[in-house]
Amino acid sequence: MQKKSSFLFYVLLFVFVFVVMFPFLWMLITSIKPMTELFGDKAFTPFTTKPTIKSYMSVFLDYPFVRYLWNSFVVSAITTIYTVFIASFAAYAIARFQFKGKTFILGLVLSVSMFPQIATISPIYIFLKNLGLTNSYLGLIIPYTTITLPLSIWILVTFFRKIPYDLEEAAKIDGASMMQTYWKVIFPLAAPGIFTTAILVFIAAWNEFLFALTINTDEKFKTVPVGIAMFQGQFSIPLGEIAAATIVVTVPLVILVLAFQRRIVSGLTSGSVKE
Amino acid sequence: MAYSLIAPALILILVISVWPVLQSFYFSMFDLKLNSPTKSETHLSYSFDLERYLDNYPFLVGGIDNEIRNGHAKEELQRVKTDLQALDEEIRKNSAVGKNYDIVNDKLLNMEKINPSIALLKINKKTAKEFQKTTEQISKNIKKISKETKLSQGVKLVGLSSAMKQVVVEPTFIGFKHYEDNLTDKRMWRALGNTFTFTVISVFLELVLGLAIALLINKAFVGRGLIRATILIPWAIPTAVSALMWKYLYDGQNGIVAMIFEKVGLVDSMSNLLTSQAGAMFSVIFADVWKTTPYMALLLLAGLQTIPSSLYEAASIDGATKWKQFTSITLPLIKTSLLVALLFRTLDAFRVFDLIWVMTGGGPANSTETISILAYKTMFSQTNFGNGSAISVIVFVCVAIISMIYIKFLGRDLLGDRSGK
Repeated sequence: MQKKSSFLFYVLLFVFVFVVMFPFLWMLITSIKPMTELFGDKAFTPFTTKPTIKSYMSVFLDYPFVRYLWNSFVVSAITTIYTVFIASFAAYAIARFQFKGKTFILGLVLSVSMFPQIATISPIYIFLKNLGLTNSYLGLIIPYTTITLPLSIWILVTFFRKIPYDLEEAAKIDGASMMQTYWKVIFPLAAPGIFTTAILVFIAAWNEFLFALTINTDEKFKTVPVGIAMFQGQFSIPLGEIAAATIVVTVPLVILVLAFQRRIVSGLTSGSVKE
Repeated sequence: MAYSLIAPALILILVISVWPVLQSFYFSMFDLKLNSPTKSETHLSYSFDLERYLDNYPFLVGGIDNEIRNGHAKEELQRVKTDLQALDEEIRKNSAVGKNYDIVNDKLLNMEKINPSIALLKINKKTAKEFQKTTEQISKNIKKISKETKLSQGVKLVGLSSAMKQVVVEPTFIGFKHYEDNLTDKRMWRALGNTFTFTVISVFLELVLGLAIALLINKAFVGRGLIRATILIPWAIPTAVSALMWKYLYDGQNGIVAMIFEKVGLVDSMSNLLTSQAGAMFSVIFADVWKTTPYMALLLLAGLQTIPSSLYEAASIDGATKWKQFTSITLPLIKTSLLVALLFRTLDAFRVFDLIWVMTGGGPANSTETISILAYKTMFSQTNFGNGSAISVIVFVCVAIISMIYIKFLGRDLLGDRSGK
């Protein structure tokens, strides 16, 4: 495994990266092309001589795009904070204590994370409608729990298990109560894991489509994925705007991913790798 | 103590995930249609709609009086009126309905909003059938009279009397009829078939390509972090957004990918991609493979990295070929990661909604309509919640079967207690 990488290896690597990145690069090019170059022969030229930011202006001026971004942000942030908070207690208990029905609870958490969303949507929709919560932030935060809570419990359990038990024992011997132990010893040690979970939960909530499409139909409460998907009109596709909007949504995620890639990878793989 | 820590999470999961699934199953046994007033709720028994009745009865009697005064079909109408009054008497005397009669009537007169709990009252089947018979008879008589004699407000009377027929709300419970209908419906089977095609092909490609990529990048090389970040980007972009992006890249006139595919000879003509049935299925699978292969590679890479390199060294000293090393060291050791990754990918692919919804909307000619899309359309385009719920329960059952198959292979590995104690 320590052999020096060959030329062929780098060629394959380059091909892989190019294929993965190509759609974004093309979107980037499209977003700065002037209207006239989006169609016809010029549609296939990988460069433009007259770059313009008109498409970007249009995204922000002609569509309530800032509103979409804000909605997505509020919903995802609140969901993340409250789910991770609740999940951390449950995960701690599962990772540390022996109690009856533990395997059952883990099984339940795992199976809930596999539930198809479509199977829960009709009761949730009727329930939220009866409460008058459709077209509100809470209307999305409540159903998002279905997706995010099992996910965060599952990831956090793995992180908690990695924390050496000795530290807790030491705290107990020193006379700390369980809550004190949790907040003073465990929580600081688990903080990186909790942060990792929070990133994953945030991305999951940010990307959710089905609930957002069904529950918040009002323009004022649409989230980014739904908002962008609705850019396409019945007869026309505003190519420039779509490209620009895609870039605007992608760039923050790219930055997030670049900054935290190590954490994201460890979170994503924590459930699947047996140690 | 442990239970109190778990309790909040457990309650939330039960309320927000488990309860809705059970409720979906319950809904699926009703003829539930949100746009139809008598079918917008689940009724197990017969009930009497007092609000609708009091909204009709006085006007109907008043209208009949009017006609009698004008001398139209005096005798016949008098008879109808007597029937109506007898029915009203009956209703007032009825123990279930009579007690709210005056309350609802007052509220109606004052134009107040009426809570269904006081206006929609359960009655037993026998009474319901009697009421139904009487109201139907009355409506029939009025129709007959209005045909024979010219009434000054015939249309209005007929309308009011046929509305009277709806004061008895029939139970919407229909048992397993939706399942029966769906299991014999060609469209449902086609959607299920599309879902299977999509799932099997895309997961298979993702596995093969993902494993190849994972093996490729499981080396120490310059720029590993960058590669990892690249891998994560398609995963992190909202599926709906990447679907729209691909829709544009596949575009029959201006789509660059469509043009490349045509040049390479993958499709006859650029415009075939999203507008022909096979082309559309190919397109959604390709987009899905693009989006999730890197993610699959990442999960497998994590598994590969837990294999100690000493194993390979020992194997190569023993003279094992690369292929032999792969099949007897790599594969067995990443079995768990492989199965977990496959399980999650298969279920994700099976539930696919946003990718296809945004790209093709299930078209052309339902060729990419998956089971989730069919359920969604049934529920929210046709507002047929009962039937839509039945389809979504079918999705749920399929998902459960798929997970059971995988978990059988995984054994207790997945749930086994790996506590670090």
